[in-house]
Amino acid sequence: MALSHTLDCRPVRLGAPQWLALHALTLWPHGVYLVQRAGDGSDDPLGLVALLAALALVAAQHQRLRLTPHLGWLLVAAALALLANGAWWAGVPSLAGALIAVLSLACAALAWWPRGHPKAPLLGLLVLSLPWLATLQFYLGWPLRVLTAQLSAWALQVAGYVAERSGASMVVDGQLLIVDAPCSGVQMAWFAYFTACAGAAAADLADRRFAQRAALVGAVVLLGNVLRNSVLVALESRPVGLAPLWHEVIGLAVLAAVCSAVWLLMLRGSRRDA
Amino acid sequence: MPNPTDSPRAPLPVRRVLACIALSLIAALALVWWPPAHAEDVDARTPESPYFHVHSDDPGLDALPLKATRVDVRIAGVIAAVTVTQHYRNEGQRPIEARYIFPGSTQSAVHAMTVHVGQRQIVAQIREKQRARLDYEGARREGKTAALLEQERPNVFSMNVANILPGDDVRVELQYSELIAPHDGMYRYVFPTVVGPRYRSPTAAAANGGFPATAHLQPGVESNVAFDLTVRLDAPLPVRAVRCDTHKLEALGLGTEHVQLALADDGVRDNRDFVLEYGLAGERTATGLMLYEAPPGPDAENFFLALVEPPKAVAPVQINPREYIFVVDISGSMHGYPLDTAKVLLRELIGGLRPSDSFNVVLFSGSSRVLAERSVPATQANIERALRTIDRAGGGGSTEIVPALRRVAALPKPADVSRTVIVVTDGYVAVENEVFQLVRRNLDQFNVFAFGIGSAVNRHLIEGLARAGQGEAFVVTRPERAAEQAQRLRRIIDTPVLTQLQARFTGLEVYDVEPAALPDVMAGRPVVLWGKWRGSSAGAKLVLQGHAADGSVADVVDAPMPDPDAVALKHLWARQRIARLGDDEALMGGQSQREPITALGLKYGLLTSYTSFIAIDQVVRSNQAATPVTQPLPLPQGVSALAVGAAPAQAVAAVVPTTPEPRWPWALALTLLLAIAAWWRRPSLG
Repeated sequence: MALSHTLDCRPVRLGAPQWLALHALTLWPHGVYLVQRAGDGSDDPLGLVALLAALALVAAQHQRLRLTPHLGWLLVAAALALLANGAWWAGVPSLAGALIAVLSLACAALAWWPRGHPKAPLLGLLVLSLPWLATLQFYLGWPLRVLTAQLSAWALQVAGYVAERSGASMVVDGQLLIVDAPCSGVQMAWFAYFTACAGAAAADLADRRFAQRAALVGAVVLLGNVLRNSVLVALESRPVGLAPLWHEVIGLAVLAAVCSAVWLLMLRGSRRDA
Repeated sequence: MPNPTDSPRAPLPVRRVLACIALSLIAALALVWWPPAHAEDVDARTPESPYFHVHSDDPGLDALPLKATRVDVRIAGVIAAVTVTQHYRNEGQRPIEARYIFPGSTQSAVHAMTVHVGQRQIVAQIREKQRARLDYEGARREGKTAALLEQERPNVFSMNVANILPGDDVRVELQYSELIAPHDGMYRYVFPTVVGPRYRSPTAAAANGGFPATAHLQPGVESNVAFDLTVRLDAPLPVRAVRCDTHKLEALGLGTEHVQLALADDGVRDNRDFVLEYGLAGERTATGLMLYEAPPGPDAENFFLALVEPPKAVAPVQINPREYIFVVDISGSMHGYPLDTAKVLLRELIGGLRPSDSFNVVLFSGSSRVLAERSVPATQANIERALRTIDRAGGGGSTEIVPALRRVAALPKPADVSRTVIVVTDGYVAVENEVFQLVRRNLDQFNVFAFGIGSAVNRHLIEGLARAGQGEAFVVTRPERAAEQAQRLRRIIDTPVLTQLQARFTGLEVYDVEPAALPDVMAGRPVVLWGKWRGSSAGAKLVLQGHAADGSVADVVDAPMPDPDAVALKHLWARQRIARLGDDEALMGGQSQREPITALGLKYGLLTSYTSFIAIDQVVRSNQAATPVTQPLPLPQGVSALAVGAAPAQAVAAVVPTTPEPRWPWALALTLLLAIAAWWRRPSLG
């Protein structure tokens, strides 16, 4: 039965790094796509950071990696690699193909992953290595902007402002303000989930718990973005507006608070917390 | 008990498949039988905002039916009689209905229209607006050639010509009169040639009325319309100092009482206002009293015009502290040269303030921003700061002038300070009435001077703002004239106003005088009085009295013999009264003055907001539906594509505040720092 779970002998004397490198090489069309996207200015190159973090995570486990890979994960990785390259050949949207490719790479890495060690952080970081921001802005940006504007309007009304939402814009004390794409919170969501993956890895959080808390991370991001937006809108609605530097300062302060909350969320109830 | 897996399931999908095939066949047959209606141009959704004309490759449709506009101006004394001839020709193969939005002078009294179709001549009738529209639609459907002239704004008209058949030549001739009042001893005649793209605010009140969507040519695309203009000046004194900054002119008879002028430009002529300035010998103006006596009859009415330079007043010794609020339009239509001109103007205006003055700057486009929450003293440091703020304004976005003026009204004002609001804009908005209403309701707080910036500004807004705000209107067409206009404003503000002005006639029975009460008179402006008279005019005099800082001043003007040719006074008086009723309506809202304006329009045969000119050829000439074609307009000179909404996102974002997240490098650095710190301090495994 052992054959169904692990290979009894290491394939052609290849170690995990070489195996993963070769696997990555088979996915080269998607690698080219990622490099192009990182360089063409269509998205912030944050994916590279997530990829480096994933590599660091693998490197950190180097001593604990299996000597022989798990056959089931390897088969899934191979199947996904075929699917990813088939998708590329069939002209499926590049991002969808790249998603299958990173999942394939993740499966290949998990085949070597220490038994019983949390897998979700590695998987999450590899998924975050894709150029998501522009795509998410396109498909999720509008509903997020409307939601943020509405929640901000209610928050400001409670604070005594005359605020109302119109589409993804707000009118606060007679001043029109636009909650446009850069205000949707997608970037904050990326950083929050990046922190969640890093936090889960640091805390050795069980995958099931990570999955449960991932939804809470979304709620923390939404709240953080509404807070950030409300404060900026309130300050911008003053006759003199607000200097750009304060946008950065307030945005960074809220981001720090969100990331700290996410880190604590991941640490709570983890093995390390215990 | 039957096993559920034994139930006859297989036939069900087959039936569903068959049903789907049957439905598909029925749908296909239905499509063949009732083909989907092809979108007709007449059914096309009417646009609401200015848009760029898209050139059609359809050789059968002449999308540019207006071939030429010819303007013939005759100025006799202070009255201009203008004839505008629009020449339409259909060079396509399908009948068309041409629509053309064109500008007019804000003071013009359009009193006649004639349509020439081939050899036939049709004199247009003045009708109530809705009825004229119905008659026109009926004639269009019946296949008759018809022309309808409607007023969209006092200075914007729309011409509709239905059923121009292939090969047709249709000439439409309009006639209007206009008063040319001298300012600072100079006469200025303006003929606007193009309507600039108007911003339609989504939050504008319905009271503003609709504004037609205008089609515009892309920047750099020349109009296909040949434009020509001639002016004949007949003055009581030799004409001097003829000046035209907007067009090159050829002149005959300069230095005499009769001057002929014609356009000499070979290039584009119809993308900017034609502005002609001139003076009379001895720096005198042809002012005084003018009488028109109608031929005897039951409905005969005599009219007068008094155009009098006010008595000179002396400047007061003490000047109250003054506060100036500059409201500057930085919307898309101001992008580039107009905003550059505005900056030059503001440097002149702000730079010339006295240290005792205070000032503030409000920049507006989609939203507004003020320099400071309270006005600041006009120190050199504050002036520099204001100029830097203005210099940073790039121009972009929409033109929300009403919220900007509301913000001005809400700015705190010390009780002992006289506040002057100076609005700098091209006026490309369709909310004129709302603006006038807002200014009138705040007259106790400020008066308004309006500067129109650009080659073809909305003079209705600029002049209306100044009238509503009891100030003065200025138009700056070029940066090099900014300093001159700034000095003019300074002179007007520094020169005392002649107040409590009263006009009294002796030896002449006058009635229906416009305006009923004379406003305060500023430096360089004449007193203009219109009215009717009856009885004998022999020995009549006009006595003008007012109060200046040094006491009462008075002037007496003798009445001349009535001039039987001055029939234009009739139209101009009616135009004046209609304008006043229009102002009242703008203040009250709704259509409160509809009836009196309609009555005046019908009685004196004038184009108004409630009366239109209609001409219908009684010959049925076509049984084919005419394709509507909107004649595209050139963009006014110096106005960029941003005015039609081609605003880059960053331009909009620059003028309407947004709440972007911090830049990613900062956010990344912070997140990594936090992650490293947290990783470092993570609890060790028990």
